[in-house]
Amino acid sequence: MVKSHPKTITKSYWVPTETAGERVFWMSLEFSLNRRSKAGQPSIAEVAWSSGSADEALLELPPVVPERIRREAQRLIQPWPDSRYTDAYRRSGGILNVFTPPWGEEQDEVWAAMAAEWKAQDFANDQARQEAFLALEQQWNTTPHPFFARLTPAQVMVCGGPHEAELADEFLRRLTRMCDGRPFQSEGEALIKTLMLLRGWQCQPRKGGRTVLDIIVSERNELLARRDRALNESANSR
Amino acid sequence: MSRKPRKRKRPRQAQSRQRSRMPSVYQRNIHQADDILAGEGVEIRPDNWQQLALDWFVPNEPERGELARYIADHEPELGVSWARELLRLEVFFQARDYAQIIAHYDQAFSRYPRCALVEMWVADQIFRHAGDFWRARQMYRYVVDHLPYHPKPYYELGFMSYLLGDFVGALGWFNQAAEQVTDDDVEMGARVFYNRGMVRFALDSDREAAIADVQEALRRKPDYPQAKEALRGLRGRVRWVPW
Repeated sequence: MVKSHPKTITKSYWVPTETAGERVFWMSLEFSLNRRSKAGQPSIAEVAWSSGSADEALLELPPVVPERIRREAQRLIQPWPDSRYTDAYRRSGGILNVFTPPWGEEQDEVWAAMAAEWKAQDFANDQARQEAFLALEQQWNTTPHPFFARLTPAQVMVCGGPHEAELADEFLRRLTRMCDGRPFQSEGEALIKTLMLLRGWQCQPRKGGRTVLDIIVSERNELLARRDRALNESANSR
Repeated sequence: MSRKPRKRKRPRQAQSRQRSRMPSVYQRNIHQADDILAGEGVEIRPDNWQQLALDWFVPNEPERGELARYIADHEPELGVSWARELLRLEVFFQARDYAQIIAHYDQAFSRYPRCALVEMWVADQIFRHAGDFWRARQMYRYVVDHLPYHPKPYYELGFMSYLLGDFVGALGWFNQAAEQVTDDDVEMGARVFYNRGMVRFALDSDREAAIADVQEALRRKPDYPQAKEALRGLRGRVRWVPW
């Protein structure tokens, strides 16, 4: 009996910066973690949510996958913390965010403002103060963030699914057609041109009147709901 | 065919001394800027440094008034050396050498009190050429705090928010820019209203508001091809208008 072997597919895109190139690569890894097999087998992320074990989920990866990618995949499917999802800073954020220059806590004006407000408040005791802080962290996790193209950190954490993967490929092919070989005066100019194309593209209505943005957001919400179901089932079965 | 004479190999230590004496690209450009200034007959002295800074860097109002205020506030810390650095910066702006503008700003201006006007212009290079959004954003926010009546930093923050995919934030910044921009500032006014119209349409397909803004942009600058194209699109039946 011949076991099915993993296929190697190489794709080549034009991207405006080296950093964006790396992020596009990691974005495709994120997409692959949410992809179910053609036979409808659960995705790697779903196995991790149900089993609570990143190691068990990674058994699904073919042995040829390099160690560096395996480590990155392991990070991506780690259980999420009860506190703030700071790992969202390190994820690609999908096609809507993949070209955004990397940023983190230092640049996060939203969290800085929330934390400053919390610090300025008076609390009855330390416990109330701590509870308010935890509530604030939850609020950050589920509030659309201006630097994540208004995805919530939770929507960033869950990563993109197969529809977004297709859309990303479509955009990257379009970008390549439009920009490959075109001279740019600077990296910044290339980056801005790319982002202008992206923001125009994400507003385009598709079949059924939904925009690219609508499709991406609703798929990420569906993945979050799937994750919640898997975690609940896993908790009930224990 | 004659052979080139072989150069005697210098000891490694001497080679490294030689390298360190060679001027860097940055230093070469500084010398060139000084040559250009000398060629223009500029001689910066204790009795004329303020006037030269104003005449060279900001010949027009309201920026001229802003820089004059900055000089008055920080006069003891500035002087001939500061004016020389500012004039060199202006030469690099005129040469459109963005890498040198940023390098010179970093090397020369950290010694002096922050000047919102200088930051506003340098931030443009950091944003639009170096692509360092986060550094530029901090600088624009500083400018907003210190030059609250200037429309440019609001406009740039609006444009940056749009690029980041934050259309709500972009609209807020463009609204503030629209409040500050005067009829005299034709280019900035047209850009502010055109971009605000586009964001309004992208946000919630508010066609009427978008048309009003694009018309305002065209009133300020009738020869604005992108605005004309957008207006045609908005008046048609399309559900999406190219930016």
